[in-house]
Amino acid sequence: MSTQLLVVDDLHTTFRTAAGLVAAVGGVSFDLATNETVGIVGESGSGKTVLARTIMGLQPRSNVEVRGSVLLDGHQVVGASEREMRERWATDVSMVFQDPMTSLNPVMRIGRQIDETLRVRLGMDKRAARARAIELLAMVGMPSAEHRYRAYPTQLSGGMRQRVVIATALACSPKLLIADEPTTGLDVTIQAQILNLLDDLKEQLHMSVILITHDLGVVATRTSRIIVMYAGRIVEMGATRDVFFRHRMPYTRALLESSPKVSNPSHTRLRVIPGRPPNLSTLTSGCAFAPRCSSASERCHQERPSLEPAEEPGHVFACWHPLAATELHEAPR
Amino acid sequence: MTDAASPLLSVRNLTVTFGSGAHSVSAVAGISFEIAEGETLGLVGESGCGKSTTGKALMKIVAPSSGTIELDGVDITRLRGRALRNARTRMQMIFQDPISSLNPRRRVRDIVAEPLDAWKSATGSARETIVRTLLNEVGIDPDVYGARYPREFSGGQCQRISIARSLAMRPKLLICDEVVSALDVSVQAQILNLLEDLKAEYGLTLLFIAHDLAVVKNVSDRVAVMYLGKICEIGPSDVLYEAPAHPYTKFLLGAALEADPDVTVRGEVLQGEPPSPLDPPSGCRFRTRCPFATDLCASDEPALREVAPGHHVACHFPLTTLGSSPSPSPILG
Ligand SMILES: Nc1ncnc2c1ncn2[C@@H]1O[C@H](COP(=O)(O)OP(=O)(O)OP(=O)(O)O)[C@@H](O)[C@H]1O
Ligand SMILES: Nc1ncnc2c1ncn2[C@@H]1O[C@H](COP(=O)(O)OP(=O)(O)O)[C@@H](O)[C@H]1O
Ligand code: SF4
Ligand code: SF4
Ligand SMILES: [Mg+2]
Ligand SMILES: [Mg+2]
Repeated sequence: MSTQLLVVDDLHTTFRTAAGLVAAVGGVSFDLATNETVGIVGESGSGKTVLARTIMGLQPRSNVEVRGSVLLDGHQVVGASEREMRERWATDVSMVFQDPMTSLNPVMRIGRQIDETLRVRLGMDKRAARARAIELLAMVGMPSAEHRYRAYPTQLSGGMRQRVVIATALACSPKLLIADEPTTGLDVTIQAQILNLLDDLKEQLHMSVILITHDLGVVATRTSRIIVMYAGRIVEMGATRDVFFRHRMPYTRALLESSPKVSNPSHTRLRVIPGRPPNLSTLTSGCAFAPRCSSASERCHQERPSLEPAEEPGHVFACWHPLAATELHEAPR
Repeated sequence: MTDAASPLLSVRNLTVTFGSGAHSVSAVAGISFEIAEGETLGLVGESGCGKSTTGKALMKIVAPSSGTIELDGVDITRLRGRALRNARTRMQMIFQDPISSLNPRRRVRDIVAEPLDAWKSATGSARETIVRTLLNEVGIDPDVYGARYPREFSGGQCQRISIARSLAMRPKLLICDEVVSALDVSVQAQILNLLEDLKAEYGLTLLFIAHDLAVVKNVSDRVAVMYLGKICEIGPSDVLYEAPAHPYTKFLLGAALEADPDVTVRGEVLQGEPPSPLDPPSGCRFRTRCPFATDLCASDEPALREVAPGHHVACHFPLTTLGSSPSPSPILG
């Protein structure tokens, strides 16, 4: 297992809120190899962002309890102090958020924002940092990078801002990049530009990438493995093709079937998942999907299924009544 | 369907110009299209191309600068006073952000009744009956939820409430502007199916604006593609998606992400972003990004012309049905 960059083991992130404990991440385990891209999919509220922030060591300490282990490049993240993590952000792990403005200072020129990372973290002098920042802006496809170096974030389009965020995130060549819905809300053409850019940079910089999205189209062709999350847990995980074509867990099927496809004829009736995701503060002992699952039995409501191996290597699923293990000829609609 | 004797909506040379002089922007720069009764026309294009402005001009939320908008044969741009008010009840628009489009201080049942109150079209028990019927229709129980406030609802439920409100005046034309863009896949599927059901039940005609090409394909009979304030292609959705004739449409579709790992053809991605609408290119507005552009494209603006029944394209060198290379001889006006 020496090639695993990231090893997450039985990770729990629990919030103490006025309404009680919220188990946002409820026992998640997975590995990520060097130079691998894994996708994490699930409905909103399934814990994708909390998981990402926990791996980053970004959770506020006040009302949060984190248990389990996150080994990033051999070093433990859980329990590390903010000071220790500051040392590791940018060089070991970086994160790109959905809204670029969460990571950009609106009143600081974009060049200076990149410069600062370079000067503080890599000890570059002013001139070297400036030159490198312009190089990074050019690398992420910013037209007239030298000129845009002096622009303020508010003078840029959403796609351009996300490029700046990516340039900043990659400034110190991190080993792991976590991209949380990096293209949600962007135009299709800009989305394709950004995803292709991430793909290319991953190869160029030999990074590992966690690509988080609720859009299965984003991860279908850009990941080697997919993790499906539901109510804070992994319910299915495997090679991308196995998850699409040989999934065993009804929720995975439902998620795939509710996605509209370009190849569908007009007025295609989409399958809907009845109901809504469960409230994470009142999770019961059974399968969290049971209230919405058409195959649910008494047992599903009582006992939680654990992740069991499927036939294919690395493919696991959690379900008492799994779907038949036959290859679908195409992704379900 | 396009050439039906009398379309429900017929738009001719519609222009919407914001500002004046050197700072004027023609957000909609002379577009024409028709929608037959009972039909769904999809409207796609990159951010800022004028989709929402088109919808708002139809609703007269923004003032058209020139052109005609005929609803059932009557030019509503010329109507004043009572006649205009009547015409306006026959069109309704629903917006992307479901939560902010509902008044937070009003109860759900009063929100749905807003149009009835504004037009004084129903009071007392008649008003109550209409509201109850509409809420039931969109899957919100009026007895349980009628007295609640918008903040107690999820995004998907707020969108259901917006839809109920939009139907209160029994409109014929519903303009949906990015109505599912902010929703999770599973909720998105519920709302899309709901719109299909209501369309059949209320005999609605839809203008469906969205940037998600898969969503648009799933709901539309025909699709119009906009670029920098102009329509560059319009046609039956299956034809347009299978064999786009305008280079821009081809690039746009190439960027669409299909939720299928076997669709690995990474379409050639359009680089850069659309030019500023403050200073649009001469001739064909797409020429600065078009690989097939010639001198003709810079000097002459291509008119929208029919290349196949119901399939119109504004390009001097439309792509052949093979969709690979432009046709050898220019179609000159
Ligand atoms: N009130 C206004 N004043 C000045 N310019 C405006 C106004 N409303 C829109 N515009 C401009 O008109 C153009 C078209 O805007 P519009 O909102 O119609 O785009 P859109 O196609 O709906 O984009 P999106 O996909 O981002 O919603 C843009 O350049 C926009 O900046
Ligand atoms: N700071 C917090 N305090 C309390 N609950 C939180 C906090 N952050 C997230 N949560 C809860 O954790 C769950 C997972 O959220 P999140 O990871 O953001 O979901 P996703 O990214 O999959 O949409 C949600 O129920 C959310 O309300
Ligand atoms: S364990 Fe039961 S409820 Fe859960 S997904 Fe499987 S069949 Fe459905
Ligand atoms: S008219 Fe010319 S520039 Fe415009 S799309 Fe056609 S080939 Fe390209
Ligand atoms: Mg999230
Ligand atoms: Mg818009």
